[in-house]
Amino acid sequence: MAKKVITIALAGNPNSGKTTVFNALTGAKQHVGNWPGVTVEKKEGNLSFGGYRIKVVDLPGVYSLTAYSLDEIIARDFVIDGQPDVVVDVVDASNMERNLYLAVQLLEMEAKLVIALNMMDVARSREYRIDVGELSRLLGVPAVPMVASRNQGVEELLRAVVDVAEGQVQAKGLRLNYGQEMETEISKLEEVITASLPSSVYSPRWLALKLLEEDEEITRKLLGEEWAKTKS
Amino acid sequence: MGKDEIIRARNQSLAHLKRVYGDEAEIVAADARYGFISGLLKDVLQKPAVEKLSSSDRVDRVVLNRWLGIPIFAAILFGLFQFTFTLSTPLIGWIGQGFDWLGELASGIKPDWLGSLLAGGIIGGVGSVLSFVPVILLLYLGLSALEDSGYLARAAFVMDRLMHRIGLHGRSFVPLVLGFGCNVPAIMATRTIENPKDRLVTIMVSPLMSCGARLPIYMLFAGAFFTAYQGLVVFSMYGIGIVLAIFLAWLFRSRLVRGESGHFVMELPPYRLPTITGVLTHMWERGRTFLVRAGRIILAMVMVIWLLDFIGALEPIGRVIAPIFSPAGFGQWQAAVTLIFGIMAKEVVVGTFGVLFAVEEGLLGQTIATQLGWTPLVAFAFMAMSLLYIPCMATIVTIRRETNSWKWTGFIVGYTLFLGWLVATLIYQIGRIFIT
Repeated sequence: MAKKVITIALAGNPNSGKTTVFNALTGAKQHVGNWPGVTVEKKEGNLSFGGYRIKVVDLPGVYSLTAYSLDEIIARDFVIDGQPDVVVDVVDASNMERNLYLAVQLLEMEAKLVIALNMMDVARSREYRIDVGELSRLLGVPAVPMVASRNQGVEELLRAVVDVAEGQVQAKGLRLNYGQEMETEISKLEEVITASLPSSVYSPRWLALKLLEEDEEITRKLLGEEWAKTKS
Repeated sequence: MGKDEIIRARNQSLAHLKRVYGDEAEIVAADARYGFISGLLKDVLQKPAVEKLSSSDRVDRVVLNRWLGIPIFAAILFGLFQFTFTLSTPLIGWIGQGFDWLGELASGIKPDWLGSLLAGGIIGGVGSVLSFVPVILLLYLGLSALEDSGYLARAAFVMDRLMHRIGLHGRSFVPLVLGFGCNVPAIMATRTIENPKDRLVTIMVSPLMSCGARLPIYMLFAGAFFTAYQGLVVFSMYGIGIVLAIFLAWLFRSRLVRGESGHFVMELPPYRLPTITGVLTHMWERGRTFLVRAGRIILAMVMVIWLLDFIGALEPIGRVIAPIFSPAGFGQWQAAVTLIFGIMAKEVVVGTFGVLFAVEEGLLGQTIATQLGWTPLVAFAFMAMSLLYIPCMATIVTIRRETNSWKWTGFIVGYTLFLGWLVATLIYQIGRIFIT
């Protein structure tokens, strides 16, 4: 019997150890530099795990999913259009404040997320105490502590990936509260979008938010070229 | 129409939010996300009361110091070359002897032309390039260790600050440091530069960074002409490349591609102790390309060169071009020929010398010195020329693809050729005044 295939999109900030996780997962011998955003090319690797064939697609390292750089657009498009079964977001445990920004954005896109909480050793050496279970509960997605450079947590990560892919763990989806004023405008726009556009892969709420954030890429996709630059 | 309605609704909302918050909705949204995270972390993360000044920060205080930063970078680079040469010199000798032995075997093969093709062409040409494999692998080993440790990002930071001071913004130097390995990934890495003009200028100067393929040329001449100062001479080539890259970036940006620069924050990854597997893997990734090229392009090129030499076509070709290089001291047809073929891949310069002077590997440098009458000054000018003139074919193709413009590609080819000639000529002419 052919093995079931699971596609993972591997996301994460530059220097979160994303490449190390990629190598730990696939044993790939590809090289990607260590400084900001060198991972422009698409790298893929394969592995077998517990009766599954897992395909890992390495996304460019980005801090957020806006439309300001090619890397961000590549990463975002793949999360939406590439329809990965699971998105693994590699988070640097010693720098969670910044790293979780990407995780929040992925959750808002309703990605099926697993958080790989990498570089736990660095966090530990700085005497950070991290409640991984609580993080997982609050975000509503699995979070796996890892030290990818020493191959720690790889198996646990894969198990979480399979659970999410098989629907054993249902992501709650994150509905962030943007404050009353923002929320009112988001709802208004959401209504107009639902009424006047055919349903798409994007949720109306997310589209409304992106329109308010004046995301040029999404505005262009949604409304056509001529509207992208029109401002209020 | 649906779209008009959406646009109207959006514009209303944006105007309203702007009134209420006095800020773009985008910023409000980002603040809300950071607020969410900071709330989340209150429950999840406990930091020690007093954060230790991490060891990374302590090292950075010295390494990124305003005054010490550049000297430290220079010292590390210099140390890297010394390490590379000290370790590789005996290895190069052994490999060279191996090829000599093979060449002797091959030269006995009948018919004579076949023996000559094998011994003088293939073994002489490819062998002269391959004998420098240890030095390239060791350099890549050192570069990979520096990269994995997080230092190369600092070097880029230090150099970038210098560029700021001369009025150049942007992350231009980050990709350039990659160019020490190979110019092709350096040019690819410019994709991370958001401002198109900054990106174009960075691409324009990328070929000036001395890549691994130029190293065999330096080694050939440094070994034969500057025995005692090999490290220093090769180091100076890298220096010439960096200084010219910065100067020309400034020149192009202020004269040719004007306009505002982008702003950005440069990420400094924490220092990490490189792992042996990591460093070896990265070294191999870079080195493999070199070996594969030796097997394909260089093998093909030396066969073409041998054939042209065999039918006597090389000398006429070389003689047409050679006079151009007379002011730079290397106006011999052989030098011109090597430079022509070097455009295919820079290490072919060495391979071509190997075919032209079919001698034992270890004697190639001395043979060039005696047969062409080169002095150390000429060799130095020739090294500078090899560094600067026309990027190799793979780089040209990449430039064309990434700039999407034949005009800029042509400009880069043209300016590097002129620059190489100019610098080589200046070195030779000025040097002659002092060395008589």
